[in-house]
Amino acid sequence: MFKNYILNGVYDEMFQETGVPRPHYEQVFRQLQNLSNPAFQRRSRMADLTFRNQGITFTVYKDASGVERIFPFDLVPRIVTSDEWKTIDRGLEQRIIALNMFCHDVYHKQHILRENVIPPELIYSAKMFRREMIHVNVPNDVYIHVCGTDLVRDKDGNYLVLEDNGRTPSGVSYVIENRAVMKRVLPTLFDSYSVRSVEDYPFNLLQCLKDLVRHPVDDPTIVVLTPGIYNSAYFEHSFLARQMGVELVEGKDLIVENNKVYMRTTAGLRLVDVIYRRIDDDFLDPLCFRPGSILGIPGLMNAYRCGNVALANAVGTGVCDDKAVYPYVPEMIKFYLKQEPILNNVPTYICAKDQDRTYVLENLDKLVVKATNESGGYGMLMGHQASAGEREDFARKIIHDPRNFIAQPVIELSQHPSLVGDHFEGRRVDLRPYILYGKKVIVTPGGLTRVALQEGSLVVNSSQGGGSKDTWVLEEGR
Amino acid sequence: MSTQAGSGEEEKKTVKQDWAMQTQSQKAYMQSQSQSQSQTPAAPAPAKTQALAPVQNPTIIPRRVPRSPTGRPMLSRVAESMYWMSRYMERAEHVARIVTVNFNMLMDLGELAPTMQEKQWQGVMQILRLENTAEGRAILSNSDRNIGARVAEFMSFNTANRNSLISCLTKARENARSIRESISAEMWETLNTLYWSLLADDAKQRMEESPQQVFQSVIMGSMLFQGVSDQTLPHGQGWQFIQLAKYLERVDMTCRIIDTKFDILRADEPTIETPLRNIQWMAVLRSCSSIEAYRRRHVGDLDPQRLAAFLILDKESPRSVRYCVREAQNAIAGIAAAVHPQEIDLTERILGRLNSQLEFSESREFSGAGLKYVLRQIQENTAEAASAVQRSYFLH
Repeated sequence: MFKNYILNGVYDEMFQETGVPRPHYEQVFRQLQNLSNPAFQRRSRMADLTFRNQGITFTVYKDASGVERIFPFDLVPRIVTSDEWKTIDRGLEQRIIALNMFCHDVYHKQHILRENVIPPELIYSAKMFRREMIHVNVPNDVYIHVCGTDLVRDKDGNYLVLEDNGRTPSGVSYVIENRAVMKRVLPTLFDSYSVRSVEDYPFNLLQCLKDLVRHPVDDPTIVVLTPGIYNSAYFEHSFLARQMGVELVEGKDLIVENNKVYMRTTAGLRLVDVIYRRIDDDFLDPLCFRPGSILGIPGLMNAYRCGNVALANAVGTGVCDDKAVYPYVPEMIKFYLKQEPILNNVPTYICAKDQDRTYVLENLDKLVVKATNESGGYGMLMGHQASAGEREDFARKIIHDPRNFIAQPVIELSQHPSLVGDHFEGRRVDLRPYILYGKKVIVTPGGLTRVALQEGSLVVNSSQGGGSKDTWVLEEGR
Repeated sequence: MSTQAGSGEEEKKTVKQDWAMQTQSQKAYMQSQSQSQSQTPAAPAPAKTQALAPVQNPTIIPRRVPRSPTGRPMLSRVAESMYWMSRYMERAEHVARIVTVNFNMLMDLGELAPTMQEKQWQGVMQILRLENTAEGRAILSNSDRNIGARVAEFMSFNTANRNSLISCLTKARENARSIRESISAEMWETLNTLYWSLLADDAKQRMEESPQQVFQSVIMGSMLFQGVSDQTLPHGQGWQFIQLAKYLERVDMTCRIIDTKFDILRADEPTIETPLRNIQWMAVLRSCSSIEAYRRRHVGDLDPQRLAAFLILDKESPRSVRYCVREAQNAIAGIAAAVHPQEIDLTERILGRLNSQLEFSESREFSGAGLKYVLRQIQENTAEAASAVQRSYFLH
């Protein structure tokens, strides 16, 4: 099945050269080679059926045909050695702490702006900068409690941070479910490695949410707030509530009275202490943000500002997700922690800067242009693959609103063998580890490896038809 | 003056603290980092001298609903979804059973009495309250195919029909999907698998090959769902709502079956031959899943009055109206005790009264026009109970 496998001149996760697997992939290579094609196909179908019957699905918006889809699952596991992981773990911890210090700073004294490390106009023009949060104190001064940072590997195998998702990153349920399916479908292969467990994520998340309770209460009421069953990540919201044993609520289940948040139960109203919200800032409170939103709870922001309810993640973390703020994260690490960044950024041109913009406009065919406030692979131009017309279109947009765009050189993501028809082919992958920050930082060993299922495609987002793999972080000394 | 100066001092101090911007965990992190990086023994930590943020007096917040010893309060929306999930599941089972029983019976009788075909299928539509809808009339008047095949298709895959199997199961599943965290994984998987089996590519083909097989799979799926619910979901409030809904739905359906079938059969009674007659009364029992239980009780005798009395009053048959009313009453009593132990629950009162009435009824009351009166009373009472549940628990 590995016959005619091409390395494509990029970093291959499995092979160091044609036919020679890296040491930690040797077992996988050997066992998959011994597996006949029909046997592998059978296992692949088994996995798909499990996903469907258990309803492990997500929603693609532009597709009118199906509300629910299975997240395509690729059976070949991605393996990360313990040494590689150590660097990632340290790098992510450093990053989330710096990002949190930055959030606290921009919503309080703004030293980083005053010293002009980051240009103030960049922050004030950020769409997701929330004036409502100025001088609001949040529990433990932590803003980003759950973070899903996207990592990619360049040609030489270096891990780079592509973006930090500090708002409401999704996907962690697939990490756990992929693992469960993997154990069921390829038990022998799984057994031949010593893989670090990911199952305690919900427990750690609950602990992290409990850390947000300000007043000592013996059994705090913690809820997960979802936009409802038609949201693309609804499965995950329900999964996490189930795994943590807390209530899953929709906006209409909550009510604010005297700046306190209650949920409507069969026995009347009950006070809510912590909300793990999976709704964007914009929709949280129609009195404060978008007046037309019916997903949120009127008055929630006031209750929040009074400190009567805690939200995870805090309101206003979107300012870190702004793609024009992202290039400054290494500066934040130096500024707040006086350290050198352990994980590097992808070089980024900020179109709001005159010099950068000139370069971007001259080199559109070599760059990836991204809108600063979009995510999920929407609003993007892959310069080297786009037509001249599309490039012109984007050039106009950039000139019209430079603040809204950044550009990055095309990163040749690493590839990994994936099942295509009846054989394996290299497909591009990234890695999204999940980081929790309650009173301490916990990086879940592993994460979601997303695969671009189209040949040569560099876009791995699930909303753009990507798939996923189980990710194995090996125990130390293996 | 002095106080102002004082507050200025205070402010400077907070600025300093703020500038440090370190929560304890951040400090700990930086210390551990600097230690591990520099390798030199750290000087006695100066951090301790730094003033900590002022301790806030813990405020005691009054909780409006105390945690009850029998489990935590349940979201109204979750309770409502439990209720409707269960009702639609039970309804799907009844629809499948009524249609498949009718099929079976007409296979025996169809050629003997062609007019009966029409009448019996009309009865099915009447039980399901579809005979007066536009779609229902279209199905009955349309004559391009065998009426049985038309109704079977209408009752299984037609999404415009709100009582078709697919509509019921879709609604049951939508409700279950919105409360997945509150039901067991096994319940969800059972329901989801059943739902997808009707949407599978080969479902329509299977229907053509053997409609009974498909209907039977729905009946068994519903039974499995009930068993799985009983054995995996804690028997707390949520489970009680499931029971309540299931039994209310069963009472309603059973009453409708008796009402409609008795009308049809009694009108024909004088003109019909005995073997034909017996087969039809047996079909009534089968539609209520009660034929074996009835046979054991009244050996060999198919007397309409006894039959009605059995379906309504039997103490032990889990399909009888009386049994279901009692179980529904138990369920609501459990809910009421957990939610407001001091008050008398309206639903419980309605069901309790109905239960006593049934307990002290005798079969004589079901002769002639008496039956219709009793059935109407039962149906009115259960409808009233259902709307009382709605008012007291779902609409806060």
